[in-house]
Formats: sequence, structure tokens, C-alpha cells
Amino acid sequence: MEGIVLALFVCLILALFTKRFALPSIPFYIIAGLLLGESGLELVAADEISRFLTDLGLLFLLFFMGLEIKPGRIWRNQSAFVSSGLIDLHINMILGFLVAYVLGFSLFDAVIIAVAFYISSTAMAVTSLIENHKLLLRESETVVWLMIFEDIVLIIFLAFMGNSGGHPLLIVVKICILLGAIIAITHFGRHYLISILKREDELPVLLTFSAVLGIAALSNTIGVPESFMVIAFGTILGTIDPIAFEIHSRPFKDVFLVVFFVFFGITVNLSSGAIPLFAIIAISLLAILSKFLSGMAIGRYIHKNNHSGIEIWSNTASRGEFSIAIAAIYGSAAVSGTIATMVIITSIIGAFAAKFSGRIQKKFSSLGKPVRPVPGTLETADSGRKDD
Amino acid sequence: MALRSINLPGIGTKYELETEKKDVVAVFFLKNGNIQMYTLPHDSSDPSVAELTSAEARRLGTILTGAIMEADRESVEIAFSALSDLRISIHTYTIGKRMANKSLEELQIRARTGVTIIAVSRGEKNVINPPPSFVFHEGDTLVAIGETDQLKTFEREIMVD
Repeated sequence: MEGIVLALFVCLILALFTKRFALPSIPFYIIAGLLLGESGLELVAADEISRFLTDLGLLFLLFFMGLEIKPGRIWRNQSAFVSSGLIDLHINMILGFLVAYVLGFSLFDAVIIAVAFYISSTAMAVTSLIENHKLLLRESETVVWLMIFEDIVLIIFLAFMGNSGGHPLLIVVKICILLGAIIAITHFGRHYLISILKREDELPVLLTFSAVLGIAALSNTIGVPESFMVIAFGTILGTIDPIAFEIHSRPFKDVFLVVFFVFFGITVNLSSGAIPLFAIIAISLLAILSKFLSGMAIGRYIHKNNHSGIEIWSNTASRGEFSIAIAAIYGSAAVSGTIATMVIITSIIGAFAAKFSGRIQKKFSSLGKPVRPVPGTLETADSGRKDD
Repeated sequence: MALRSINLPGIGTKYELETEKKDVVAVFFLKNGNIQMYTLPHDSSDPSVAELTSAEARRLGTILTGAIMEADRESVEIAFSALSDLRISIHTYTIGKRMANKSLEELQIRARTGVTIIAVSRGEKNVINPPPSFVFHEGDTLVAIGETDQLKTFEREIMVD
């Protein structure tokens, strides 16, 4: 218990520090965990309580992600994001897998690393767009839809990788029955749920908290992947009143997610792995490079210029919460260490890249052969694309 | 003038307006409650940004609708949703030489224009609903209520020096 309190206060100080200097906080929480835990001073160790709290952090991260996914809106925007999403998926997933496999990870571990390698941090991308005042750029819409595409890939991955034994068809049937039950309950109990959410007392918060935990426990009992079910549950509740559920679950997400990150760092043992440190750093640097390749490809394909590619790259280079989530759910010791390092390196480089993307663009255009005048972002942007 | 609005998941709602001269004004209502306003001149690719709280944004909005004019000559128009054809304007005026030292009765404001004077502010003192015998001084600020046309008549017939 004292360990958790110590870790929390270290994170509180780090949060004050990172917000003051507009830095991403996730890598610092993980570094704090590494220093406090097995890889460092061994002041804090994971126990039953910390494991429960980190589980809560993961559940609320996924629930929150589910609330953000609006199937109808995605359906209307499909042309805008399918092509860029597929470019992003192929380049990063394939490169990540090949690198991990060549470095000696097993087939399963290489797949896990490839997914963590592929999926950018939505939280850091959104913060970067807002803090660096980039919302007006056309690329910011591309980045936002890329993040949604990655979320959907993650959901599909969680649905298929989450099963622990059992016939795949049986699991699909179970998922369908459970989803059907949730949809039926939320459909017929809609007015009652809305009336509860409107209350001023403890009921809305209690309802949100216990519903998320309840779905996770139920999924475990009947043997369907809980991470997938929690996201799907969030998406279904998002059709009732996404803002109310966000308000009532945000405090849980904010606190438990910090516990999740710091204890992930605490349980990672960097020195035990069979993979040498230089290989881990090589993967991290390749993670930056591969997002550069995919960013440039998307920039050329959608916005028809290289500057957009650099803008997309600089905002999506950071890996973060979802990579850590993948490591926490599936990772062996060596995989977790690799992903932790990758998140730290990419998110710090990504934060600086996003801040100085303007200068990088100028450097880049002076390197390129035909030096064209910098085109206005609005004139050159996607003239063929339709937005509502 | 082209206005488009779009919902950006995780960020908020964006409203973008292109002016006749091809300048762009974009307003983002962020999920954290703050508002970012971007302006991009047609001949530049560097936007400028202002971050506003919702109170500041409302104030800016009132200014842009033209409701607040000069500080000493403000006007507010009131419309009731249930009475769509009833539009009442409240306007402030500063008394000049011509109206000074005359009483409300003498000026015959209501009879001649239909406008009612509902308050007069003199220095630190406010007189609400001044009586017919009330005499104006130079520099008084008066608050008049009426339809826009009536107020125009008032400005033309009585205020003009």
C-alpha cells in the first residue's frame, strides 16, 4: 500500500512538471516506474492491490476509447480514412513484425510487438494538435481519422487474440449473445438510464463504475475477451449519452491509468531480457522511421505534398497508452521491456517533432531537389475530398 | 461565404468560415471546454491563434453581432420567441446643447415619436421613469425604448442639433 502511495506522489510531481513544460506525461510515468521498480531502486513492487488498480486503469482506458467510437460517423467518413488507414497499417505492421522477428523474438511475440509498433498514441496526438495550435491544418483531420482507424484495428485484434482456449466459433456466438443482451437492455431501458444519468447524487458515477467492472467480470466468467467487450460496451453506451458517461468515468480513468502506467514500468525488468539493449533501441528508432514512411506516403496520397507527410508523421510518431495496453495484456518480460523502451523513446522524440514540425518542413524542403515555394495549406489541400 | 462544421472525435467541433476575400476564420469548441479561434489571411499559410474561455467567446460573439456599439451609444434589441413580430429596441443617448434645460413635457417626446424615456443617468445618480417635469442637463445619458423606426424618428426630430 505504501508503495502505491509513493508511486502516486512521484507521478503527481511528474504531472505538475510535464504540464508546466507541455511535455507528454506517459513516458515520464513509465520512467518513474522503471526507476522505482525491478529495473531500478526496487522501492516499490507490484502486489494484489496494485494489480487490481492497474486492471481498472486498463478497463477505463478501453471503455473511454469505446465511448469515442461513433459507428455512424465513421460510416459517413469512410472514404476519407480507409485509404490512409490502410497505408498506415501495412507499412508499420509489416515493418514492426519483420524487425522483431529478425531480432529473434518468437512468432507470437513478434506479432505483439508489431501491433504495439503500429498503434500510435491517440492521447498524445490529440494533445499535440491542440497544444501546438495545429487544428486548422487539413492534416489534423487526417491524423484524427488515422487514430480512429488504428482504434478499430486494435478492437479487431483484441477480439481475435483475447480468447484463452475454446472453439473460436463458440466464442463468436458467446460475444454475439452478450452484445445482443447489452444492446437490448440499453435499447429498452434507454429512458430509465437517461433519467439515472441526469441525477445529481452518487447514482450516475456508481452506475458507470459498476457497469464497466460488471461487463469485465461477466466476460471473464463466460470466457470472452474482456478488453474487447469493454470497448464494445463503451460504444453501445455512447449511443445513449456519451458526454454523461465520459464525465462519470473520467476521474476513474485519469487516476487508475496513471497507476497503470507507473506499475507497468515497475514490473518491467529491462536487465533480464534475452534481447540486448541495442536491439531494443534499434526497434524504437525504426518505429520513428516507419511512421515517417507511412506519414509521407499518406501526405503524398491524400494532400499531394511532402509537407503534409511531415506534419502527419510528427503528430503520429508517439506510441503510448495502447502500445502499453497491448504489452500489459499479452507481453512476455522481454516484449514488455521492448515496448516500454519504444514508448519512452518515440513519445519524447514525437513530442519534439510535433513542436518543431514547421522547422523540420523547412529543412526538408531545402534538402529536396525542386525547391518549390511553400504552398498554403488550405489551397493545396484535398480538393477532391468532401467533408460535411 | 462558405461555412462548414465538422466533428473531430476526441477533439471537439470545428466551424470554419471562408470570407468573401478568401480569408479563413475557424473556431474549435474543444472537449475541455476551451475555444480556439484561428484566422488565416488569404495570402499566408501561417494562421494566428487565440485561446478563449467560454465567457470570453460569448463576449466576442456579442461584439461581432453588433449589439454593442460605441460605449456612450449602446443599443440592445429584444425579441421574444413567442411574439416573433414584436421587436423592441433599447437605446442610450447623450444629451447635447439643444435638449439641455428642457423638460420632458416641453419636448413632447412620446407624442411626437412614440419613444418612451425610461431612465436618465446624471453623474452618479440614476432617475428611473422620470416625471414629465424632469429637466435635462447637458451631458445626461438617457435610456430610450421603442421600435427601431420610432428611435430613428427620435434621433431625427429631437436629438439633432
